[in-house]
Amino acid sequence: MSSSVFWALVRKDLYLQRGIMIVTVLTCLLAVVLTSLGKVGLAVGGVLFLTADIASGIFIAMYSLMAERKGLSHLFALSLPISGFRYDLSKLVSGYLAYGIPWLVLTSIAASLFLLPGQDRGMIVYVLLLQMFALALFSVMLAVLFAVKSELMSAAVIVVVNICFSLFVVDLNLPQNAQPMHGPTLVWTRFAVTGLCVDAAVMALTLIFALALLSRRRDHF
Amino acid sequence: MSTDLPANAFCLQGVSKTFSYFRLEGLNLSLPQGQIMGLVGPNGAGKSTTIRLLMGLVAADAGAIEALGFRIPDQVEQAKRAIAFVSDDMRLFSNATLDWHMRFVASIYPQWDELYARQLLKRFNLRAEQTVTKLSRGEHVKALLLLALARRPALLVLDEPTSGLDPVARHELLAELMEIVRDERRSILFSSHNTQDVERICDQIAFIDRGRLVDSRDKESFLERWRRISVDVPTGVVLPRLADVVDVSLGERVAVLTTDNYLPQTQALLEQSGGRVRDVQRMSLEEIFVACVMRSREREPS
Repeated sequence: MSSSVFWALVRKDLYLQRGIMIVTVLTCLLAVVLTSLGKVGLAVGGVLFLTADIASGIFIAMYSLMAERKGLSHLFALSLPISGFRYDLSKLVSGYLAYGIPWLVLTSIAASLFLLPGQDRGMIVYVLLLQMFALALFSVMLAVLFAVKSELMSAAVIVVVNICFSLFVVDLNLPQNAQPMHGPTLVWTRFAVTGLCVDAAVMALTLIFALALLSRRRDHF
Repeated sequence: MSTDLPANAFCLQGVSKTFSYFRLEGLNLSLPQGQIMGLVGPNGAGKSTTIRLLMGLVAADAGAIEALGFRIPDQVEQAKRAIAFVSDDMRLFSNATLDWHMRFVASIYPQWDELYARQLLKRFNLRAEQTVTKLSRGEHVKALLLLALARRPALLVLDEPTSGLDPVARHELLAELMEIVRDERRSILFSSHNTQDVERICDQIAFIDRGRLVDSRDKESFLERWRRISVDVPTGVVLPRLADVVDVSLGERVAVLTTDNYLPQTQALLEQSGGRVRDVQRMSLEEIFVACVMRSREREPS
């Protein structure tokens, strides 16, 4: 039964966050369309895509954890036949799914655009680097929001996440990093491989951190 | 109610919990099956902490907790299958309708009683299609109660459910609650700082103050044992020191004694000493509660 309660809570979160998930996908699809409309469209579409990508992560993490905590609806969830640990775990799983599902759709669409004739296939690496970094940042944000309860600290985390993403985009667009990706073949440069490995390591570490934190938590209110 | 339930709906033995600015100390409390217990205490006394310990929301530093025969927090998931919990600060998911919540809870509890839920919906004058954000405070509490009661729980835990309600909504809610508990044998733990609410619906009463259980017994026993005795004290007469007198207010020629164990002999003893008993008054639960708390605070080491 507890397993069914666990998944009921995950489904509940996905249902309640469906609006953010749908808006994210639609905004990014609009951004993709805009990128095909010349240089201005490319710039506007690019900014829109990145904003939707990172903002959805912030909204989902905040909505999933902070809003439920602040609104005290987590007390209602905790009145159901589930332990505090499994409730927290359901928040972690639903957070990853709520961000991960649109992320997967958008990454697939963005990457497949570069498979079209006349496009630089090498840009698939660019898309992967960008999206994996966004996923790693979301992972960090989710883990930290589990750890901190103060709103000020949560806001600080969100600001830091934004700064990190902006700095990464600047770094990614430096000629020495971006140039090899503007070609017909996939080029796995040292920068690209290191970047993807770091992202994967960050995600693994934040997941371990979050699980360790949850398993040690004795009080759930 | 099924016959395989343990004798006590819940049992707390020597339970302690320390927070930065508050400590719940050596709490011993139990509720026989089918009874309604009122947990009474001022704000910050430890009522909510006691309930959160019982619900496994916080872990005790010491002591043992059992609810419906299950160890808390180890077996909290099994215990919560038959416990429903409503608290004054609990909220439903804001973006969903009451109907969605009913379907959500029904999907979790196989014993969900849809017919009963629909009856309560009507009785509470709620609309299922209403979004939670549109509910008033009173309606929100009623919605929470509906979701709790339609699970048909063996133990219902209510943490200050009437707090923050206007008098009409409070009266309405208690009336509904009394009607609900009248026709069903179900154990209820009801916390409140409002003694009138507790006096109306509870069989057992536990007073709690500053993290300590001050007294706990059945309501009738409280009301029967506590008395306020007014005695005329002529000049030169000294009243005897009676063991069960917890408070003495002395006027010029009148003494008012408060006793927690009134016996017919009490009056005789006072009169034998030369005093003249003017009046013996029953005390309200609120007066008993205040006297209990004051006595407990006086005994507390400074």
